[in-house]
Amino acid sequence: MKKRNKKFQRKNSNSLNKLSLFQKNDGRFSKKCPLSIKNAPVIDYKNIALLKKYVSDNGKIISSKITSVSFGKQKKLTKEIKKAKVLGLL
Amino acid sequence: MAFYENTIIAKQDLAEKDLNSIKDKYNEIINKSSGKVIKIEKWGLLNLAYKIKNYKKGFYIHYKFEGNDKTLNEINKKIKIDGAIIRHLTVKYNKLDTKNEYFKKDK
Repeated sequence: MKKRNKKFQRKNSNSLNKLSLFQKNDGRFSKKCPLSIKNAPVIDYKNIALLKKYVSDNGKIISSKITSVSFGKQKKLTKEIKKAKVLGLL
Repeated sequence: MAFYENTIIAKQDLAEKDLNSIKDKYNEIINKSSGKVIKIEKWGLLNLAYKIKNYKKGFYIHYKFEGNDKTLNEINKKIKIDGAIIRHLTVKYNKLDTKNEYFKKDK
């Protein structure tokens, strides 16, 4: 039983191993959050180099679906970005 | 007592003398109204992302201090009257990090 389970999981985890074109691609958004790793950069309104990565050219905040930032960090990011905008830094 | 960070943006067409007097003025205000200044950072002349009161550039002065609501009220009052300051922002922190400086001049 155990052996079978392992095989099944391996097949599922590989996103390129699809049966048909119309099958949903599971591995597409499975990238890990870049701000939750060890020694991650500090989210702060003074750290503009970091905040600029998460803002579009028009000054809009990019959604976490695209940047794959975790929910908690995204909340913090939006708050800090808004602070930076008040000061005219972004 | 809690920790705060206060950033003020002064007009760009001020002389160096006036800037220093502004810096000392708010340093004194905080220290007098039951607060304590921990660090002052001068970020220098920076480009504003958008026009504020028809100014394209501004002088940034950044304070890290310890204080209570009395201190905050006093600063807000003084900044509102002050004509040389375009904009300001105060943020509360549980812990201040005095090591990182994001706006160092030698870049």
